[in-house]
Amino acid sequence: MEAGLNLDFIKAFESLPYLIQGLKTTVLIAVFGLLFGFVIGLAAGLARTSKNKALYAVSTVYVESVRGTPLLVQAVWLYFGVNQLLVQTLGFRLSSLNAGIIVIAVNAGAYIAEIVRGSIQSIDKGQEEAGRSLGLTRIQTFAYIIFPQALKRMIPPLGNQFIISLKDTSLLSIISVGELMRHSQEIVAVDFNAFEIYTLVAAVYLLLTLAISLVLRLVERRLG
Amino acid sequence: MIQVRDLHKYYGDLEVLKGIDCQISKREVVCVIGPSGSGKSTFLRCLNLLEQITSGQVVVNGHDLTDPKTDINLLRTEVGMVFQRFNLFPHKNVLDNIMLAPMKVRKKTKNEAREIALSLLDKVGLGDKADVFPHHLSGGQMQRVAIARALAMNPQIMLFDEPTSALDPELVGEVLAVMKDLAREGMTMVVVTHEMGFAREAGDRVIFMDQGVIVEESPPEQMFTNPQHDRTREFLSKI
Repeated sequence: MEAGLNLDFIKAFESLPYLIQGLKTTVLIAVFGLLFGFVIGLAAGLARTSKNKALYAVSTVYVESVRGTPLLVQAVWLYFGVNQLLVQTLGFRLSSLNAGIIVIAVNAGAYIAEIVRGSIQSIDKGQEEAGRSLGLTRIQTFAYIIFPQALKRMIPPLGNQFIISLKDTSLLSIISVGELMRHSQEIVAVDFNAFEIYTLVAAVYLLLTLAISLVLRLVERRLG
Repeated sequence: MIQVRDLHKYYGDLEVLKGIDCQISKREVVCVIGPSGSGKSTFLRCLNLLEQITSGQVVVNGHDLTDPKTDINLLRTEVGMVFQRFNLFPHKNVLDNIMLAPMKVRKKTKNEAREIALSLLDKVGLGDKADVFPHHLSGGQMQRVAIARALAMNPQIMLFDEPTSALDPELVGEVLAVMKDLAREGMTMVVVTHEMGFAREAGDRVIFMDQGVIVEESPPEQMFTNPQHDRTREFLSKI
C-alpha cells in the first residue's frame, strides 16, 4: 500500500443513511430513557427528602447502587444477566432496545433524584414557614411554593444530565442496540474507514448535545 | 386571647424556654424584648406551632395547641405571622403573593382575592406595586407586602418576629407606621422587637425575657423609666 494520507469522506457520506438509522434509535432511547428517568428521579428525589424511613431507605439504596456501578456493567447485567433469569423462569427476554431504554432510565433516574433532592433542600426554610403560617397544608406549600422554585434550580443540572445520558447511549452498542455507535462500528468493520466514520459520528453527537444546550438556554431565559 | 401556662421548649438537651406563663387579651399589643438567645423568637414561634411545644399549655384563640386533635392549619389561618426575613415568595408577583392563601385556603375566587389584595396594598401604601416581583422592592416595601399577605387571611392575632431587624435604618419607619396603624385599629399583636420607640408608642405592655424566662412585664412607661429587676436595667442601659 502507498504511504501517506488516504482519506475518503465521500465514501463515508455514502454510509450516512445507515448512520441516520442508528441516530434515530439513539434519539429514541435518549428521549424515552430520559422521560422515564425524570419520572423515576422525581419520585426517588422526593423519597430522599421524605421523613418516612422506608421511603428514604429504598431511595437511598437505589441512588447509591446505581451511582456506584458503571453504566456498562448495568447494561450487560440487565441484558445478559437478568435476561438469562427471565428466560429460565418466565420464558421471555427483554429486547436490546427495551433493555437499553430501561438502563438509561434507571441510570439517569438516580442522578436526577439527587438533582431533585438538592434543589428542594436548597429552598430557604423560611419559604415553607411562610406558607404554613398562612394556613396552607404541607402539600399545598410544596406544590405552590417550594416545588416551582426548586424546578427552576433543577434546570441547569438537568440539562447537564440530559447531555450525559445522551452520550451514554453509545455504551449500549455493547448489548447490540442498533444505535449510532453500533452502526458506525458495523460500517468501519466493512469499509475500514475508521477515521472518517468516527469523525462523522463524533460530529453528530456534538450537534445533538449542542442542540440540547441551546434548548436549555432558551428555557432558562424563559423562566428568567 | 392567648393563654400560656408553664411552657417549656427543648432543642435536644438544650432548654430554651424554661416555663413561660403569660396572658394576652384581645386588642392588646404586647412587645417582647430581650437579648439574643433569650428565647423570645422561640416563644413567638410556639404560638402558631412553627416550633413544637415540649410541655405546658398554650391556648390561642380557643385552640389548645398541645391537643393533638387541634387543627393546626385552621389555627394558622387565624394567626398571621410576619418574619424578620420577609419570606415573600420570589416566584410570584406582589399580588399573587397576597392572593395565594385566600384562594387556596379560604377558597376565595380570583376576583374576591384580588379585591382583598388590592385594598390591603393600598392600606400599606403599595397600591402601585401590585404587578412587581419581590426582588424589585426595597426591604421596607417587602415587609409591608408581607404584612399585607398575612392580613389577607383576616387573622385575629398578628405575630411579628423582629420585623424591622433586617432593614436599613431609614426603611424602619415605614414598616413601624403600618404596624402602628394596625395597633390603632385594635389588632391583637405580639411583637418581638428591638424598637423601643415602637414599644413605648404602640405597646400596651412590654415583656422582658432573658435565658428562657420572663424576667419582668409591665406597661412600657414603667418598663423604660422604672424597671424592677437588675437584669432588665442592665439590658435597657445597653440599648
